[in-house]
Amino acid sequence: MKKLWQGIAATAAVGMLVAGCSDPGTGDEPAAGTDDGATTDEQWPDPTADLSGVTLSLWAAQSSATLADQPIAAFEEATGATVEVVTIPDPYEQGVQTRVATGDLPDLAFWQPTSSMLTAINASTNLQPLDGAPWIEEMDPELQDLTGILDDTRYAALITSPAVMGVYYNKDVFEEAGITETPGDFDEMVEIARDLDEQGTTPFFEMAGDRWGTQWWVQVLLADAAADGLWDRINTGEEQFTDEAGLTAIQTYKDLIDEGLFNEDIATATFEEQGDALLAGDAAMAVQINALYGQLVAKADAETVDETIGFFPISPSGNVGTSIPDQANALAAFATGDEAQEAAARQFMAFLMGPNYGDFIADQQTVSLKGDVPTPDGVPQVLQDVHASLGDSVGSMQSEAVANPDLYLYVSDMIQGGQMTPEDVATATQDHFAQLAQAQGVDGF
Amino acid sequence: MGNRQTHPRTFLIPAFVVMGIFFFTPTIYNFVYAFTDWSSFKAEINPVGLANFESLLSSGTLLTSLRVTLVYAVLVAIFQNLFGLGLALLLERDTRINRFSRVMFFIPVVMSALAVGYIFQALLKPAGALNQLLSLFTAEPVTTAWLGSTTWTIVVVALIHAWKWMGLSMLIYLAGLKTINEDVLEAARLDGASAWQTFRTIRFPLLAPAVTFNVATALLGSMNGFDIVQATTGGGPAGSTELLNIFIYRTFGQGLFAQATTMSLVLFVAVALLAFPVVRTLRKREEVL
Repeated sequence: MKKLWQGIAATAAVGMLVAGCSDPGTGDEPAAGTDDGATTDEQWPDPTADLSGVTLSLWAAQSSATLADQPIAAFEEATGATVEVVTIPDPYEQGVQTRVATGDLPDLAFWQPTSSMLTAINASTNLQPLDGAPWIEEMDPELQDLTGILDDTRYAALITSPAVMGVYYNKDVFEEAGITETPGDFDEMVEIARDLDEQGTTPFFEMAGDRWGTQWWVQVLLADAAADGLWDRINTGEEQFTDEAGLTAIQTYKDLIDEGLFNEDIATATFEEQGDALLAGDAAMAVQINALYGQLVAKADAETVDETIGFFPISPSGNVGTSIPDQANALAAFATGDEAQEAAARQFMAFLMGPNYGDFIADQQTVSLKGDVPTPDGVPQVLQDVHASLGDSVGSMQSEAVANPDLYLYVSDMIQGGQMTPEDVATATQDHFAQLAQAQGVDGF
Repeated sequence: MGNRQTHPRTFLIPAFVVMGIFFFTPTIYNFVYAFTDWSSFKAEINPVGLANFESLLSSGTLLTSLRVTLVYAVLVAIFQNLFGLGLALLLERDTRINRFSRVMFFIPVVMSALAVGYIFQALLKPAGALNQLLSLFTAEPVTTAWLGSTTWTIVVVALIHAWKWMGLSMLIYLAGLKTINEDVLEAARLDGASAWQTFRTIRFPLLAPAVTFNVATALLGSMNGFDIVQATTGGGPAGSTELLNIFIYRTFGQGLFAQATTMSLVLFVAVALLAFPVVRTLRKREEVL
């Protein structure tokens, strides 16, 4: 008996030692197409080539689960392949990273195409490079290299117009208050806010109860610095969140809250309440991303939203938006090690972005990214304004910084508890950034 | 003993194999990976010694979360046992309405913890049902943010946790009450002891085994708490309800697998350090029986 137990214990111990220090999510095999200099034809098969018997898996978040329904149906019809959408529960990015860490890879997935999130999924090991993709040349020049690139290699295909941080405002409230022109820079916006406040209208609505949106104000306030290379300096450790630019942005935001320009229930208010307040005209403005538009049309029909809600980008010195692509904006193809599957995954992308693109954006009622494909009729003005601001937009922290620290969490802490000072928020953000950068092996951390 | 055993000892093997695979192996990995730089960003895993522990301790967030977790566990243990014992005493007699009530109070135990959390989150928000009810009674608008205080929200979530699990404590206390010999209670009555005296000096001490089980499971179970708090506050406001498990979940989700593993190792050690003295002290009370 005793011998048996010793045997089991020894076997188990050896097994663990052998398995102990290998990461199942990150094999050593090189990704397809990185080392063999494959020709473009091999790399990018004909979008409608026959794929009978091939089954592709596509991971999506709850918010993007039905996004690709039209291209999937058309692709299945054209090629004979089957595409299975697997919905990963929210928080999506965490769920995907955890699965990938255990060695579970899909063929395709919606993925935030920012450098920080491409780093987080270890793109150079887990994703297929998409260099030479046939549709890139057909895209609007200013959108071609906007995002999806890490260390000069393209890993994600932008499929819809990426989100932009800016100000959503209630047109009726502006009109009633006699505001005929949207502000031309941040200070003008604050002046308008003070006027509105005097008239008894809540100027800004913030949703610190749900926390994630609180970082937009800080990032919008950093837009000038971002244009001036802030994120490059942050990435090398040359500048820190605790230095003047970062600290001033947080402090300005805090001062505006203390001044009483925000909704009274700022600490507990939610994203949903933000949308409701803006629609109802209970608040005049909200700094948000495209997700707010989705929330608004979920509460009222698109026509009402188009009539009531407007959008303008804002930055300290002008009207520059801050772009932040999210997972629903882009697709990534995984390096699964199976060449046929990998080629089929690339073919799906080429199909979606190639012959099927017009049908796709018509189905989604969204702005076209390609010069030769017109934006479908009926795309709301708000979305067109958001898209128009992309051209001269600056990159967000998520897009440009090598790591994505929990800025939103610390800012929310400051708003909710009053315990954290702007200095504490900057310090906590910098510490977290350094921790993530160090884990990535970034020089200087 | 040897000749009287009813089953061969090899029958234990399946249970131990399951334990080994699903409990001991992950626990041992927990020890191994805590000393590496395992992350989602890199393919290799290298040993880094105590670096993870040093950086976690120096940043202070780990200790804050550990403190929050301890406060939460103690509050849950107190509330859950007070509610459970109170219900058991109220519903002790086997009447029809009591049997029905016991079932009702046991329902939250079998409910999904996340569902419970989301329901309470909806009830307690400023525009939620509780405030609407209060507004109705006080005839003025009540907009208290029940989950918005950095001091009291932890008490509120501990109450929710205790509410969910009080039915289980009640059941165990009821079983404990049933085991008390009727003769002892009759003797006390004959001696003129009041109901309170009987409870304080006879019934409660005789409940010691039930107290041991209930306190230990409530305290140690809520040290590992996650679901209810995640659903109600997500760790907020201002991190005042960020249990260690929520912190671990957040860290793991950012791809810092080694750091998350280190934290869960710390939690494991903390639970173990707490478990032994608590269980031993409670068992000591049973020795008089």
